[in-house]
Amino acid sequence: MSDPRIDEALRPMLPRLRRFALWLARDPHAADDLVQSTVERALSKWASRREDESLRAWLFAILYRLFLDGKRRASRYARFIGSLHEEEPTWPSAERVAIAHSTLAAFADLPVEQRSLLLWITVEGMSYREVADILEIPIGTVMSRLSRARRALRLLGDGGAEIPPLRLLK
Amino acid sequence: MTTTPPSEHDIHAYVDGHLDGPRRGEVERYLSRHPERAEEVHAWRQDAQQLRTLLAGDLGATPSQEATLDPVAIRMRRHKRRVTRAAIAASLFLCLALGGAGGWAARGMGTGSTAPMADAMQAYQLLAVDHGVGMDITTGNEGDLRAWLAGRVGATAHLPDLADAGFRPMGGRLFATDQGPAAMVLYDDGKGHTVSFYVRPPGAARRLLPRGEREDNGLLANYWSDGWHNYAVVALADAAGRAAAQRVVVKAI
Repeated sequence: MSDPRIDEALRPMLPRLRRFALWLARDPHAADDLVQSTVERALSKWASRREDESLRAWLFAILYRLFLDGKRRASRYARFIGSLHEEEPTWPSAERVAIAHSTLAAFADLPVEQRSLLLWITVEGMSYREVADILEIPIGTVMSRLSRARRALRLLGDGGAEIPPLRLLK
Repeated sequence: MTTTPPSEHDIHAYVDGHLDGPRRGEVERYLSRHPERAEEVHAWRQDAQQLRTLLAGDLGATPSQEATLDPVAIRMRRHKRRVTRAAIAASLFLCLALGGAGGWAARGMGTGSTAPMADAMQAYQLLAVDHGVGMDITTGNEGDLRAWLAGRVGATAHLPDLADAGFRPMGGRLFATDQGPAAMVLYDDGKGHTVSFYVRPPGAARRLLPRGEREDNGLLANYWSDGWHNYAVVALADAAGRAAAQRVVVKAI
């Protein structure tokens, strides 16, 4: 199972996985852990991957499920120790600078699924079919959820009326 | 003169730039007649464009991140973890086995002091019989073994040079004992004689052993202490084993 071709295929996906993890977990360390777990899972499940399946969608699906599982565990634990509010991860200062941008701030505030949908479709340019496969829902449902996500982003981002011209981010 | 609005799919595909040809024209025509819808759809396009630009910066990773997240590194860590887990499982098993054996050996002993270095003899039985199957480190290099021993059991634990006595090291194995980490290094003289060199800390009670020798269950143990650790040399209790052990003990003490 130590096929260098597998590593070659995985390597270019890492920055994309990390970006997705960063926007899911909103914490750089948690993001790195997520990517690492994703690659581990991918290495051990490589043989079960369908040949026709897009590698990127497959990896995103693994990462997304790992994140949700972790979140579920964390909230079960939170309930267990009697604290009902879910701890929101804190952004380190560098990220907070970027967050100051209203669109990004709105994006960061979206629910996990809406954030994932927008990242997969608008940023990664994935097809609706791929996204439907990841979420295991029909394409029609992807469409309606995408509408909801786009409206939510609008609403949170001050309606976009006074969006300043794009700033360059470090 | 279409009045039916385009499907949700076509609207999104238009926003995401996936729509070409006549269907794109249809969406554009529809939007030109429905300015309130057009405003929203164009805002969506703008948002998508902004997200793409803003998130493009997140694709960079520091070299250290790249190194830790590289599949090769992750594969290695996974392998290491598995080996560690197996080693922990094996030493837990050995703890139980030694504990059980020690308990059995200690039966009937009034004061509760077990036979000296019974663990060394157990360890010999477990490994030397299979000629070193299941060792943690397999090397004939004494320098490597010395470093391994110093790192695991302690810098003061010293390994004898038995080359003059005709014995070459084969490798070593760690054991968890009540007194702390113990190590056994197996030596072979190339003529079928296997002798073990066993070292273990004296434990919190600092129970150092006087020089001694005893036989049990067909095995011969010579033991002593250097003030920091307890040592034992174990061999088969036959004529050849006795002679081999003698040569080793003379070199080791």
